[in-house]
Amino acid sequence: MEAANSLVTPTRDVFVNIAPWMQAVFYAMILASLGVLSWQVWARARLWRQGQPGGSERDWRLWLRRLATYALSQKRVHRKSLGAALHVLLFSGFVVLTIGTTLLMIADNGPVNFHHGWYYLFYELTMDVFGVAVCVGCLLALYRRAFGRPASLGHKRRDWALLGVLLMLSLSGFAVEALRLHFTQVPGSIARWSVIGSAIDMTLLRDLDLGTTRAMHLGFWWVHAVLVAALFISIPVTRFMHVLTGPMNIATRPSRAMGALAPLKLEDVEKTGRVGVASLGDFNRQQLLSLDSCMECGRCEDACPAWASGKPLSPKAVVVNLRDAMGGKRNGQPLHGAVISPETLWACTMCQACVSECPVLIGHVDLISDLRRHLVGEGQITGSPAKAMSQVARQFNPYGRSPTDRLTWAEGLQVPTVESNPDFDYLFWVGCAASFDRRAQKAARATVQLLREAQVNFAVLGREEHCTGDPARRLGDEFLFQELAQGNVETLNTRKVEKIVSTCPHCVNTLKNEYSQFGGHYTVQHHSQLLTELVSTGRLRGGMKSNGTITLHDPCYLARANDEADAPRVVLRTAGGTISEMPRHGAKTFCCGAGGGRMWFEEPQTQRVSGLRAKEAMGTGARTLATACPFCLNMMSDGMASTAGGEQVRVVDIAEVLVESRAERPTVLPAL
Amino acid sequence: MKILVSFKRVSDAASQDGGQFVINPFDEIAIEEALRIRERGEAAEIVGMTIGTSVVDEQVRAALAMGLDRAIRVDDSRALDPYAVARIFLAVVRQERPQVVILGKQAVDDDANQVGQMLAGLLNWPQATFVSKVEFLNGNQRVRCTRETDRGLEVIVVNLPAVITTDLRLNEPRYVSLPGLMKARRHPIEVLSCAQLGVGVQPRTTIVSTRPAARRSGGVRVESVQDLVARLRQQEKVL
Amino acid sequence: MIQSLVIIEHDGQRVMRGSLSAITLAHQLGGSYALLVIGNGIAAVAESARAFGAASVFVIDDLGLLEPLADRYATIIAEVAQRIGASNIVGTSSTYTKDILPRVAALLDAAMLSDVTAVEIKDGVTLCQRPICAGSQVATVKIEGNVRVLTARSTAFAVPSLNCQTCPVEQIPVDAASLPNGTQFISREQRTSTRPDVTEARVVVAGGRPLKDRETFERLIGGLADALGGAIGATRAAVDAGLASNDCQIGQTGKTVAPELYIAVGVSGAVQHAAGIKDSKIIVAINRDPEAAIFQMATYGLVGDLYEIIPRLMAAVRS
Repeated sequence: MEAANSLVTPTRDVFVNIAPWMQAVFYAMILASLGVLSWQVWARARLWRQGQPGGSERDWRLWLRRLATYALSQKRVHRKSLGAALHVLLFSGFVVLTIGTTLLMIADNGPVNFHHGWYYLFYELTMDVFGVAVCVGCLLALYRRAFGRPASLGHKRRDWALLGVLLMLSLSGFAVEALRLHFTQVPGSIARWSVIGSAIDMTLLRDLDLGTTRAMHLGFWWVHAVLVAALFISIPVTRFMHVLTGPMNIATRPSRAMGALAPLKLEDVEKTGRVGVASLGDFNRQQLLSLDSCMECGRCEDACPAWASGKPLSPKAVVVNLRDAMGGKRNGQPLHGAVISPETLWACTMCQACVSECPVLIGHVDLISDLRRHLVGEGQITGSPAKAMSQVARQFNPYGRSPTDRLTWAEGLQVPTVESNPDFDYLFWVGCAASFDRRAQKAARATVQLLREAQVNFAVLGREEHCTGDPARRLGDEFLFQELAQGNVETLNTRKVEKIVSTCPHCVNTLKNEYSQFGGHYTVQHHSQLLTELVSTGRLRGGMKSNGTITLHDPCYLARANDEADAPRVVLRTAGGTISEMPRHGAKTFCCGAGGGRMWFEEPQTQRVSGLRAKEAMGTGARTLATACPFCLNMMSDGMASTAGGEQVRVVDIAEVLVESRAERPTVLPAL
Repeated sequence: MKILVSFKRVSDAASQDGGQFVINPFDEIAIEEALRIRERGEAAEIVGMTIGTSVVDEQVRAALAMGLDRAIRVDDSRALDPYAVARIFLAVVRQERPQVVILGKQAVDDDANQVGQMLAGLLNWPQATFVSKVEFLNGNQRVRCTRETDRGLEVIVVNLPAVITTDLRLNEPRYVSLPGLMKARRHPIEVLSCAQLGVGVQPRTTIVSTRPAARRSGGVRVESVQDLVARLRQQEKVL
Repeated sequence: MIQSLVIIEHDGQRVMRGSLSAITLAHQLGGSYALLVIGNGIAAVAESARAFGAASVFVIDDLGLLEPLADRYATIIAEVAQRIGASNIVGTSSTYTKDILPRVAALLDAAMLSDVTAVEIKDGVTLCQRPICAGSQVATVKIEGNVRVLTARSTAFAVPSLNCQTCPVEQIPVDAASLPNGTQFISREQRTSTRPDVTEARVVVAGGRPLKDRETFERLIGGLADALGGAIGATRAAVDAGLASNDCQIGQTGKTVAPELYIAVGVSGAVQHAAGIKDSKIIVAINRDPEAAIFQMATYGLVGDLYEIIPRLMAAVRS
């Protein structure tokens, strides 16, 4: 027998031991399960279609690029954690096994059967290895869910069921393989390519007689087949749905700069009488699809500063609740109040941590922004944030200070204005914070000192500068924002502005990424970026003295939303500082709590994000906390002041650090 | 139940160059309270009233944008005093026949705090002034009000129809954004004249002149508690 | 003929000292004046009002007048004023007179000016000064008419000293059944405090928003006030935050005070609060923010952490 078989080409009879009528039943069952799957997916797709048309990325080349990066290379999944490791195993295993099974089906039913020879041997090996991957992945997942489950992961009974089915699929697969090897008496030289199967065969099945083997094979084969069908049907009703919807979302999510919100058109509002999202149908179809792509991994929740500080906002809950409202246990409930509470919406700092963590690229911030727009449109915002917006509308700054006071920060500095210096090269956009907030004014003054030293030809707008409108847009008054944007664009274009530099990342973000929506196209830099340029071209020299270690708090709207973490560090190192990094730094920075309009909310001490961040900063042992944003400057100053031991830490802007490094003693900036 | 709410155009305290005008903050609170009463289902119609020339229409639209059903402007270009205002409002009340009139307790420009009480006297209606809480009882026959007085919080119940004046802590007025203003544009503003209302009244108090109040100037910064106490004890002899 | 009818405010037991300032205003208006005291069981109150140089003290004492319900009181005051033929009805600016006197003016078809800080009669024309725009401006206003209602800002008119001559007390009977019945008094928060009334105290210690909570407010602001034998005040923000009760509120929409010593703790000095304290003799400001507006009007300013400063100040004062 052995000798005869050794002349046989390595291959196998796909349906060995399976009677033709059983094969028919098998195909029917698989088709039926795929039919059920398709029907359920179609039902979900109908729900997405209740949304407004549009909102999707249409460029198929971008689709492919994104799928390659996020779906195939799983870029967002990779990190040092058990969850990431087990997902790599499950994902790679699942993909390879699916491809393998598909190839097998094509080989078996197609014109040419290529399932033999070296191809076959490598196929067997590969399938076994990746089958092990699935098995180990399942076991790790089960272990993690049982003993080390992060709170943000969430848990339902069907999660056990899903993992169970996957595990049993892989185990039953190996069983079938081992049993097949046994009764088909494949020669060892071929059998050993099916590593696991032959190992089982050699050990457990050694003494099993052929009749029993065939019977067991048939049994396990059907178990495996039924589990496959069960897996298909379970896709739309478990986390597993993300294998379909995840790539769909990754491909179609709109392309927009991370820090930019989508504009609204006045004509649309006049037509529909609606602003923002009041009911699910007001979201666009892409957004509704995105709700179904969530697999509840919880990474967004883990990264959320609002959640960490005890506020009732979990980005995951927002997505899941909206999804349940779409077609689940919250079906038919009013969105505002029942599904999502206003407190949840107002708690968001729009730091984009959730958006940048999400493996399937869900846009949580856009969902929240759309819902906020409705609240504001209905007048359902009161107190200090409403006051800030009224002040923006009337005095063109959220502080409520007179527009005539725009230049008091520059007293004594003789800062050139666009009037006095019309041939300026750079427009220094001061921003409302640096104009009116005491701490931020110091950063502006330091920046002016540095610009002068580097002989940069700059000017400020002075009284003509109005708030960029960022607070209004983030809080949800889109039209107040547009009014300000249009006014500022007109001013900037009239003054022939081309290059802008600002100390405020929020201003930078809006001017750079959002003003283009209104005809404003400028080259916008954050002051850390311009300073870095000046240093590298030798126009600004370094400092001689540094006061101990510094830690840098990366502003969200600089490091994360606008991808700039290096420039502030260059400035600090130029100043001679030694940087001691906080655990969450660079693009993984932890918000100070002021974004999303939160700067204008009053918050109880116990719920302050800045307190959490202050503790993290103090953990570095640095005596100076540098930052590059006026909001961060404020929040972290307050955060330090209210944290035990924090009074020892100085909170300053990077520009101040550079200026101070020049002298034997730190420079005392002229008093205001 | 119909509610009549009054509002006044005042200079925006925050804009020092005096260019901006707003609805008197106490009147915003009055409008907000009326809206909330309607939202609770206790009132059917909220009508706003104000006095002034067409420049006041800016505030009328803002008030309509908050959610008034209708607005009336009595066209009058004169500098009126509280009693004249109360007489004009009396004529509007007689025309509109509301069950409740709600006004802000004082205007932040003249700080008079008189119109509501005068109106109540002219109507011979009960009044509830400086209220920080409003609750309708007995199927809108009476209203229970908490008032903020020098002696603390006081609770009274007044029969309807009544005049209510609002204090600061009654509520926080809703924010008005463009969609609200757009809806407001579609509402017509009813413009009436004193003659149409049958009111002939002259103000009997007139501002002859104004001058900036004497400002205290900052004094001395002390460096420590001991320094402060020493000065208060020895120099000022107040301790 | 009595020229002015002065409305005296009381709490059932004693006359509110501030309301006596109206007597000085009546004096300046010229002619004789009578005092009017309304309430129930107020014989002692009326008695204590006899030595202020009035022509008479009118007392209206009835169970139905136990509480100052505006519709009832206004009707009575208007009747009395008409009966005695008074040209002026005068009171001191307080929530009591603000509630009632405008209604009186309407009943008498009289012009009214509130919060008067000075009065001048020139060539038969009565000119009054009063604060407007949160006290940032002073308006000179002409008032016309046969009958006028005026309320005086207590900090602008001194409380008259006692006269050795006392005047008669005249009981005016009232038919309670004929009085308006549309208002029913339910309750008043009775706060018993050993501290002096904030409008009458020699020393006022006021706290702002930065005080953490009610207990801290009482401990620090109340503690310092007690050490100085003074009253406590609060900014609107502090009252909004529940740190102090509304009757402590000082400012444009609260009380006006002019003590000898006003200590502002954690108070930013916004114009609306400043309006209520401008006439204080000495203002001491304690604030962590050196740029706070309060320092621009304070006689003495101390920059620092109030949680460190106030305990030390309390100790220094006691020693």
